Amino acid sequence: MPDASSRSKVRVKSTFNTLERERKFKNPPEKGAVVPILNEFVTPHIESFNALFDDSGLPAGDGDGRGLLHLGIEEIGKRVVFDGRGDVGAESGQRGWGNRLTMWYEQVSVGRPMVSERDTQAKERRVYPAEARERLTSYRGRMMVKICWQVNDGPVEVEMRDCGLLPIMVRSARCNLRGMSSAELVKHHEEPEEFGGYFIINGNERLIRYLILPRRHHVISLVRPSFVNRGPSYTPYAVQIRCVRPDQTSVTNTLHYLSNGSAMLRFSWRKQEYVIPIMLILKALVSASDKEIFEGVMMQDYEDTFLSDRVELLLRSFKMYRLYTGDQCLQYLGDKFRVVVNLPEDWTNQAIGVWLINKVVLVHLQNPRDKFRMLLFMLRKLYALVSKSCSVDNPDSPQHQEVLLPGTLYGMIIKERLEEALNSFREGIAMDVRNSNPSVDFFDKRYIKKVLQRTNYDIGAKMSNFLATGNLVSPTGLDLQQASGFTIVAEKLNWMRYISHFRSIHRGAFFAELKTTTVRKLLPEAWGFLCPVHTPDGSPCGLLNHLSRTCRIVTAPLAVAHIPALLAAHGMTQAFTPSVDGRRNLCIQLDGRLIGWAPPAVCKQLATSLRIWKTEGKHNVPLDLEIGLVPVSKGGQYPGLYLFSSRSRMMRPVKYLANGKDDQVGSFEQVYMDIACTPAEIEDGVSTHVEHSPTNFLSILANLTPFSDFNQSPRNIYQCQMGKQTMGTPATALQHRTDNKLYRLQTGQTPIVRPALHNTYGMDSFPNGTNAIVAVISYTGYDMEDAMILNKSAHERGFAYGTVYKSYTVDLQELTGSRRVSSVPTLHFGFGPEIKTDGPRAHPACQHIDPDGLPCVGARLNPGDYIAAYVDDTTGRTKFAKYKGDEVAYVDTVRLIGSDAGDQELQKINITLRITRAPVIGDKFSSRHGQKGVCSQKWPAIDMPFTESGMQPDVIINPHAFPSRMTIGMLVESMAGKAGAMHGLAQDATPFQFTEEDTAIEYFGEQLLAAGYNYYGNEPMYSGITGQEFAADIYIGCVYYQRLRHMVLDKFQVRTTGPVDPVTRQPVKGRKRAGGIRFGEMERDALIAHGTAFLLQDRLMNCSDYSTAWVCRTCGSLISLGYDDVTLGEMVIGADGALKPTGPGGEYCRVCRAAAEEEDERQRQALASANANSQGRPGADVRVAIPSQHVLGPATKGGDMDIIAVPYVFRYLCAELASMGIKVSLEVR
Amino acid sequence: MNSQQGQNYGSNPGQQGLQQSREMEYLCADCGAKNEIRSREPIRCRECGHRIMYKKRTNRMVQFEAR
Repeated sequence: MPDASSRSKVRVKSTFNTLERERKFKNPPEKGAVVPILNEFVTPHIESFNALFDDSGLPAGDGDGRGLLHLGIEEIGKRVVFDGRGDVGAESGQRGWGNRLTMWYEQVSVGRPMVSERDTQAKERRVYPAEARERLTSYRGRMMVKICWQVNDGPVEVEMRDCGLLPIMVRSARCNLRGMSSAELVKHHEEPEEFGGYFIINGNERLIRYLILPRRHHVISLVRPSFVNRGPSYTPYAVQIRCVRPDQTSVTNTLHYLSNGSAMLRFSWRKQEYVIPIMLILKALVSASDKEIFEGVMMQDYEDTFLSDRVELLLRSFKMYRLYTGDQCLQYLGDKFRVVVNLPEDWTNQAIGVWLINKVVLVHLQNPRDKFRMLLFMLRKLYALVSKSCSVDNPDSPQHQEVLLPGTLYGMIIKERLEEALNSFREGIAMDVRNSNPSVDFFDKRYIKKVLQRTNYDIGAKMSNFLATGNLVSPTGLDLQQASGFTIVAEKLNWMRYISHFRSIHRGAFFAELKTTTVRKLLPEAWGFLCPVHTPDGSPCGLLNHLSRTCRIVTAPLAVAHIPALLAAHGMTQAFTPSVDGRRNLCIQLDGRLIGWAPPAVCKQLATSLRIWKTEGKHNVPLDLEIGLVPVSKGGQYPGLYLFSSRSRMMRPVKYLANGKDDQVGSFEQVYMDIACTPAEIEDGVSTHVEHSPTNFLSILANLTPFSDFNQSPRNIYQCQMGKQTMGTPATALQHRTDNKLYRLQTGQTPIVRPALHNTYGMDSFPNGTNAIVAVISYTGYDMEDAMILNKSAHERGFAYGTVYKSYTVDLQELTGSRRVSSVPTLHFGFGPEIKTDGPRAHPACQHIDPDGLPCVGARLNPGDYIAAYVDDTTGRTKFAKYKGDEVAYVDTVRLIGSDAGDQELQKINITLRITRAPVIGDKFSSRHGQKGVCSQKWPAIDMPFTESGMQPDVIINPHAFPSRMTIGMLVESMAGKAGAMHGLAQDATPFQFTEEDTAIEYFGEQLLAAGYNYYGNEPMYSGITGQEFAADIYIGCVYYQRLRHMVLDKFQVRTTGPVDPVTRQPVKGRKRAGGIRFGEMERDALIAHGTAFLLQDRLMNCSDYSTAWVCRTCGSLISLGYDDVTLGEMVIGADGALKPTGPGGEYCRVCRAAAEEEDERQRQALASANANSQGRPGADVRVAIPSQHVLGPATKGGDMDIIAVPYVFRYLCAELASMGIKVSLEVR
Repeated sequence: MNSQQGQNYGSNPGQQGLQQSREMEYLCADCGAKNEIRSREPIRCRECGHRIMYKKRTNRMVQFEAR
């Protein structure tokens, strides 16, 4: 809180920093960024992408600094193909396989985005993101891979293969904007605050969003009833570990407990799940004897009969396999998995077994002994879980979660695509061998190159597709639970929405469908990592979270190789010690590797020492090391000291009290730590840490809500939503953007009342609303139910005036009539000779279109106007593109887009249209406290109420908006804003600054008093209509108002008549098609309940598919109408001389008439057979002209038709039913 | 509106819609240089080789009803 000095009247310096901001905007800094913190919060995106490359600029950690791609191609390994067919003898070598061709990758390189080589003219060879955006192309760099092959043990051949153009993350190590200062960024048509972190695909900014994954290298215990369904004797108990290879690809191993006491290891290979008895793996790993396994699991706890029983069963149950040595187990494994893994045919079973264990069992550990120890630990934890001596871990808790980083996912997909390509290269050769293709010659370089050329290597296109759709096409599934929804568009609706995309973190598409809501719960473990306020309401609530402001994600590998030795020197028993007492010792793990054992007291000591060392930088303990000490408890989490140094973890800064240094805390360790929120809350002997600031647990957006601590929490959630829907300032480089839709507020202001972080994050560059004078009064009745009254004069002065920019592309290449294959285009922009461009009879298109066929910049377009003209060479005719919108727009920019190499004539233009959106009745506004409302009137200024000083409110809201919502923050903001405006102060609205003793009311009340106002911010006001003073004083102050993007002009839907569905003849749906709004079942119920039959008839019949139909009174059929031609007023007389009855227009029922005729015929035949002398067949019908009114006698069968009103769909239904042989009969009364 | 017929018939022989071989002036999106580009000429800045052009604001009278 600014202290009392700000209350004094002498002001030293503006607290709004207007001039400084303007200076910075005019002259962005030549070095560094305007707002450096904005670059910090996307670092996980950028650094994880950088980590793909060898020159990432990240510290090497324990590795050698090679990028993930390099590690990935190493992991892919070699592929082998033989030119023999496996028959022994003949000339195909000793073992029958012939020559052995080995192929592998040696190097992957990705270049920066460059202009295509075909372009010889461009001076600047680098391509910058702005060009990709404006030309609606992708921002991509060339990817090359070095493929090596070798025949038998011959020389290694090398070939570079082009992998297409790989999308590059903006501002990453491969981006041309890397390391640019704000001034340079502006020179390249970017924002001065541009921070990158996204990809540009077809002109759209797309980013890979963070996804929550199970924490790597930590064994979690699970109890899931569904595990029982996995097979006979399976139980709900299991332990699971997600293991990550150095190249960041992962494999999940699950150890299932079986009811017979043994355990099965489950893993998946190419989306197929396999289970192996754990004993098989234990033996195969280190050739362990039964005793070794028994001792390893028991750990001298021989009294524990629960454990010993189970271990005994485990050992006994494996006897039936008759596998005694490690080699036997490996051979067994290799034999079973040979058909699955597709390894070279000349490998032995044992080699395949070794390979399999390397590939799928605890892949983060290289050493089999380490894997063995870890598996024993998992077994112990599993048995502890079954015996209930440890609790179930919650996989929904951030304690057991980490983040899937964009770069990591990108690298995993690239690796898989490369692997796929290598496989198909191998398969190409294998196919030739199988088909006995004569060209197969392993020693012929040209042949190999030919096959290589044949192989599809367009990895760039596949990655573009991944980014454009977010769909993962993968044969392995990448150990992820979802196959789509990985990428989102970084909408630049306004700056708040844009930046929160980069901090959003999703739980996973899988959980969205889950019926249970446990995954959505806000857990205390998430404190400081995920913002409790910033989550959308509705279906993604709790699944789509946002990272807290200070939450970091570790992206740099850490050097921790020396830590086991360091710990051993301070009292840790080394892991290889043969006999450790499991009752007295806790296990110590570093990144899922068992590094030793120590008694609980020593563990605690070690944890404390490590923390001091890491905060003080001693012993080279990295600051980002997570020291998760799980203390011994009764039935709590499985105890131990778990150290994590891996990437992708969430960490956040806090202050370590012991030495006052900055500490980084992870989500695993935080659970067992005592972190005080404020210095006042520190408890001696309990608190170890204190927060740097009590607002650090909020996300950036939640932090920007002023006085959010005064509001009821859901209101803050709503503000986080509405802040992102505000019509604000999306960007300052607007003329270089081609977004489909941009909303812009013309009169943005800096809020008078703002939290300190508003300045920290440079939010003043992107104003999001306007300071409005708000009176809380029930004035006209037009402010009922959250409506608000706008002062008409305020509106006329430009209050909340906005603009929508829409862009529209005309691509002649895509239009019909152009031959895509040919290089010469057949469509050209411009007018054909048949169009008269001047004179009184000029073509109407010439009003908006220049002779080049493009619209004039500045032209005003009405719906349906022409915006571009082009000539078709084949027909010689001129065609036009039309403006499809339904409101008046102005042409803002016309971009002529050249081809990639700049060698083609104009085929594509992009037009930015500007649509003015002055606020109108029905537009939505909101304050920053979740108080949204709709403008209900623009009230004339003369009729507005005014204060004693003559002030009129810009906005009137109803007092009823407050009691139930309890947004006290808005009331405080109103006071603070009023005082700030009077004193020229930018008021600090950071939450948690005031206390019960030092209240906000008092602080701002004093300021108001000093400015000559009422202490509490209310003032006497006078009616604008009568001029009389109101009985009550009115609360009036200054509140920052946002205009939301929901505007009536985009939403209104009215129709009297209009298009109908051709089948049902009911009105179509959809605003775009001028359709109606559904009058549904519930609405129908309401009308029935009210007894408003006429209204019901009107809505559902007359205004919908009213139709009349002829129905036969006799048979009740709607579909048997027939006509006799009686236009001349004649009657039809049948052959028997009887009148054929018809309706007034000659209508008759075909069914009934046929039935009547048939009856006649039968009677006649009966008569004929009796008389034996018939007149023969009856003649044709005779037409006689007798006026029908002269015909007497009742209408007999077939003519008894009536007109009824029925819905058209009912007639349709009858016809459909008839087609199925079902008769519908109506009874007409 | 100027007339656009009759200029430069020879530059594009064999095409029918020839009258628009007249040139228009555009602005390079990168360097801002004025470029005269004829119809059916490649879109490329003569100064820097950039591949995007902006259309200049029209010099026709633009007047809207002011209310």
